[in-house]
Amino acid sequence: MTLETEVQSLRQVPMFREVDPARLKLLAFTSERVHFADGQRFFDRGDAADAAYLILEGEAAVTLDGPQGPIRLALLGANALVGEMGILADQPRSATVTAVVPTTALRIDRRVFLELLSQFPQIAIAVMRELAHRLEMTNQQLAQMRTG
Amino acid sequence: MSGGAEAAERTGGAVQAAGGTPAVERETRGRAAGQEAAAGVRAGNDPEASDASGGLDRSLFRYIWRHSKRDQILICCVVLASLPLYFASLDLPRRIVNEAIQGHAFEKGNETAKFLVLRLQMPDWFGHDVSLFEGFDVDRFELLFGLSSMFLLLVLINGAFKYWINVAKGALGERMLRRLRFQLFSLIMRFSPEALRHTKASEVATIIRDEVEPIGGFIGDAYILPAFLGTQAATAMAFILLQNVWLGLLAAGVVGVQFVVIPRLRRELLRLGRQRQLASRRLAGRVGEVVDGIAAVHSNGAEAWERAEIGHRLGGLFDLRLRIYRRKFMVKFLNNLLAQMTPFLFYCIGGYFALKGQLSIGQLVAVIAAYRDLPPPLKELIDWDQQRLDVQVKYEQVLQQFLPERLIGLDAPGRDETLCGRLAAEGVGVQEPHGPVLTNVSLSLPLPALVGIVSDGGPAASTFARVLARRVVPTSGRLTLNDHDLAEWSGAALTRRIAYAGVDPILFPGSLRDNIVYGLNRRPPEDAAVTDAKALAEARRTGNPVEPFPADWTDYAQAGVADASALDALILDWLTRIGMGEEVYRFGLLGQVDPERHPDLAARLIEARIAFRERLAAEGHAHLVEPFDPARYNRQATVAENLLFGVPTTTALTGRALAEHPVVRVVLDRTGLADDLVTMGERIAATMLEIFRGLPSGHPLFEQFSFLSADELPEYEAILARRTATEASAERHGGSALNRIRRRWIGLGRYGSADATRLIALPLAYIEPRHRLGLIDDAFRERLVEARAELRTTLDEAGMGGVDFYDPDQVCAAAPLRDNLLFGRINQSVADAVETVTATGTALVQEMQLAPAITRVGLDHQVGPEGRFLSSVQRAVVSLVRALVRRPDLLVLDGALSPLGEARARTVLGLLLERFGRENSLVVVLPNDRAADRFALVLRAAGTQIQGPETPGQETPGQETPGQETRGQEIPAGSVASPEDMTTGAGAAAPAAAVSARAEDETGPEPARVEQDVKA
Repeated sequence: MTLETEVQSLRQVPMFREVDPARLKLLAFTSERVHFADGQRFFDRGDAADAAYLILEGEAAVTLDGPQGPIRLALLGANALVGEMGILADQPRSATVTAVVPTTALRIDRRVFLELLSQFPQIAIAVMRELAHRLEMTNQQLAQMRTG
Repeated sequence: MSGGAEAAERTGGAVQAAGGTPAVERETRGRAAGQEAAAGVRAGNDPEASDASGGLDRSLFRYIWRHSKRDQILICCVVLASLPLYFASLDLPRRIVNEAIQGHAFEKGNETAKFLVLRLQMPDWFGHDVSLFEGFDVDRFELLFGLSSMFLLLVLINGAFKYWINVAKGALGERMLRRLRFQLFSLIMRFSPEALRHTKASEVATIIRDEVEPIGGFIGDAYILPAFLGTQAATAMAFILLQNVWLGLLAAGVVGVQFVVIPRLRRELLRLGRQRQLASRRLAGRVGEVVDGIAAVHSNGAEAWERAEIGHRLGGLFDLRLRIYRRKFMVKFLNNLLAQMTPFLFYCIGGYFALKGQLSIGQLVAVIAAYRDLPPPLKELIDWDQQRLDVQVKYEQVLQQFLPERLIGLDAPGRDETLCGRLAAEGVGVQEPHGPVLTNVSLSLPLPALVGIVSDGGPAASTFARVLARRVVPTSGRLTLNDHDLAEWSGAALTRRIAYAGVDPILFPGSLRDNIVYGLNRRPPEDAAVTDAKALAEARRTGNPVEPFPADWTDYAQAGVADASALDALILDWLTRIGMGEEVYRFGLLGQVDPERHPDLAARLIEARIAFRERLAAEGHAHLVEPFDPARYNRQATVAENLLFGVPTTTALTGRALAEHPVVRVVLDRTGLADDLVTMGERIAATMLEIFRGLPSGHPLFEQFSFLSADELPEYEAILARRTATEASAERHGGSALNRIRRRWIGLGRYGSADATRLIALPLAYIEPRHRLGLIDDAFRERLVEARAELRTTLDEAGMGGVDFYDPDQVCAAAPLRDNLLFGRINQSVADAVETVTATGTALVQEMQLAPAITRVGLDHQVGPEGRFLSSVQRAVVSLVRALVRRPDLLVLDGALSPLGEARARTVLGLLLERFGRENSLVVVLPNDRAADRFALVLRAAGTQIQGPETPGQETPGQETPGQETRGQEIPAGSVASPEDMTTGAGAAAPAAAVSARAEDETGPEPARVEQDVKA
């Protein structure tokens, strides 16, 4: 697996869909590829948010510790981006992410990511668009819940 | 008047001039005599070396004569001995022409003539000549060859004389230069604080390095050259006079003109030379200043101003030099003209005499030959004279920097007793250029004691601390211990017994250990005999120190330990207590293990290396580290590392330079790897150009991630463009051999070798799992491992060294300790691999108890120039520990704790307060009241006054506290405390210390700095 395949994976992420391939290559090149064993933590809830992860292969579970053990919130598969909100908001991790099978992920360092954002407005706009989109979704869900 | 006589007179004049300043000299001599005993100890046993730490003579010639008269006389004797032979070599051409060629010896029909007649010539009134040897009978040819051979023999003998004289002269000059340099350096050690304030380090360095160099060169010639050349010229002149008085007078006249006119012209040259010397010394000083303050230059954006300033100086220097050149070559022209004129007169007038029969042809030839020999010595004599003036000026200018008033006196023996008892200040005052800092301070302290001096924000507290530490000599008043003036003490004893740590730690380049034991480097090793007798004799001859160096000068007894390892343990103990142990341990992990110096640790490292691997495997983490294996490609290491399979020890094999290394290139070409690497380089360059384009240069991402720096992008772009052009051309013209050659000729070969080198440099840093460009396959790995073995053999055969190869059973001395332990590369692509491996390593180190040994390696950590590789906290700790390991009777901390930060300073102060107070005293300058109650005695600065001592915890100071050892009184602000006001407690009942020292041994007042100590 090389840089090219990682770029392909990055292109699958809605946030990066519109970004110039050369920039995605830079993002991939400045990121690290890391392997997680089955059950190994990406990060724990409350940890400092120092990186976002793009899952290239495998699966990871997002969990919260409940009184009766962990509650699984979501299961993430290939091409899923996780932890990006934390690095943008500069807040501690809001949930725990654990690999459920041997998983390979691209670790996008927070500092490097912010550096790229400030350097290339194109990426910054793509991120804003994605965030605005999510906000819109949340608003809609909220409206549905109120009406429903 | 002959040149020689003139020269001799000038020499005499110089000597007279030396006698012209008797007062100064007497003073110098007096000092030298008075200090002989002390200096003898320092500078060796040569009595002549006594002034190695004393003054220099005001006159250069006197200085030279005093230190080298024996050698000078010896060489002069040899010069005199060579003269008769020289005369003979002048006379021989006449005999060859007259007797052998023209046949005068055979005139009366003799078939043979006498050869080698030895006759002792006696003055006429004494009687006849005494014949020693009647000579051989020879015919004309034999006479010619005989005389010619004798001429050759004389030439050889004269050459041999010249050789010996030159070597002896050179050695003499070098010895004197060594002495002079050493003396100047010794004098720098004695610069008074006032002198130091006006001294620029780089200027003094220039003096010692450059300016005395010509003086040294001249010293060898000072007496000998005029003696040698003067007598030689006089001989030649006498010879000419003997042949023909008129010609002789003619020659003498020309010589006289040369000697009178030329030096006149040169005087201006000297003046210019002096200006040049000062200007270039100032240039050196200025450059030094700029370099020292480069940070300020950058931060103030003053580069352009500095450039203009230096440019202006260089312009001035250029003008000076140009004027010197013009003048110099004008003088040279005149000189040559005069020298060339004389042969013309000789041919003309000598020929006239010869035609008239008043001069034989042989004589004419000999005169001309003798005259040929005359100008070089004369020219050199004139040069010598100029050099003399020049060097004397230089010497005087050097001397200006080392005048006795700029120096402090030598240390004299005096009292040396424990600093215990009643230490009293009696009317101590310190005057600074801008006003008084301390006025009439009188108080007394019972030592040993813990004393805090609370600063009022002014310089008084710090200055008083420095007075106590003998860093500042009071301008009025005195310090006494048990009623003995501290000036009676020996300076050396006081510096040993008092330690001072200020706010600016002074560190020297070297290791942490070197810097910490610096205060213990006081005792020249006694047992270490100097084996090199020749070096020892030379040192004695030049007044240099005879103590062995390099050697272990550490005074273990003063630190209270037996040997080096115990001292290391003591140092580490202090460092750990002060909170730098962890950092030193980390220095140790990054440090290098020299198997020769740490054989035990080296052996245990191999053991630990194996244990590490086993432990990782047992924990199921074997895949986290890929070990170095001579037969396998290490995927986690760079291509370069895999190729070398070791750590380069020369820069020629480090980093990108590897691509240019001839041996490496040969191996790469032979194994065909060069082409692969070029292709890899192309792809890396292309990728970097693609993804980093658009980032501004200097962007942090470049530094961190790119194989190329921003300014290299255009260069590599051009290389890639050349490739495209080459390939296009190859396609168009086909691949015939002729075309290939043609393309190479027009510079379109596949690559120029420079381009190839630039490209090969890129993949050297490539790691496939990290960079993921998909450039390396198994076939490449296999071939690289083959090339690795071949490179090693080739390097070994070339005998170049330069690589410390990895060996599973050996410590790689060039690699950091940590790498030796790990002996592999961590697999970075596994999450948390570094943390896991580090944890395993730390546990292993603890289990095997390697930490102390590793921390000891940390003491070898280099601190860099002025300790710049350390943080300011670390520098402060090193400076503090340096003072502590000396176990001083009195430790004065003047702002030394402030870099540590408030919390840590409080902890360290607590530690010190625990250690001091029983046998040793501690004096700390405090920025405020907060920590004052931790001290037994507190002094308070108020304006130019120091009040106290008071014992903290008392509501009304001045009252006696029962049960406490010391009592103090507070004096109202502004009033003067007299010794009578002072009461001393039981602590003062220590053995009376009786001592003596000279006040001027210590440094005088320094500019007052407001220094803060413990912030707590």
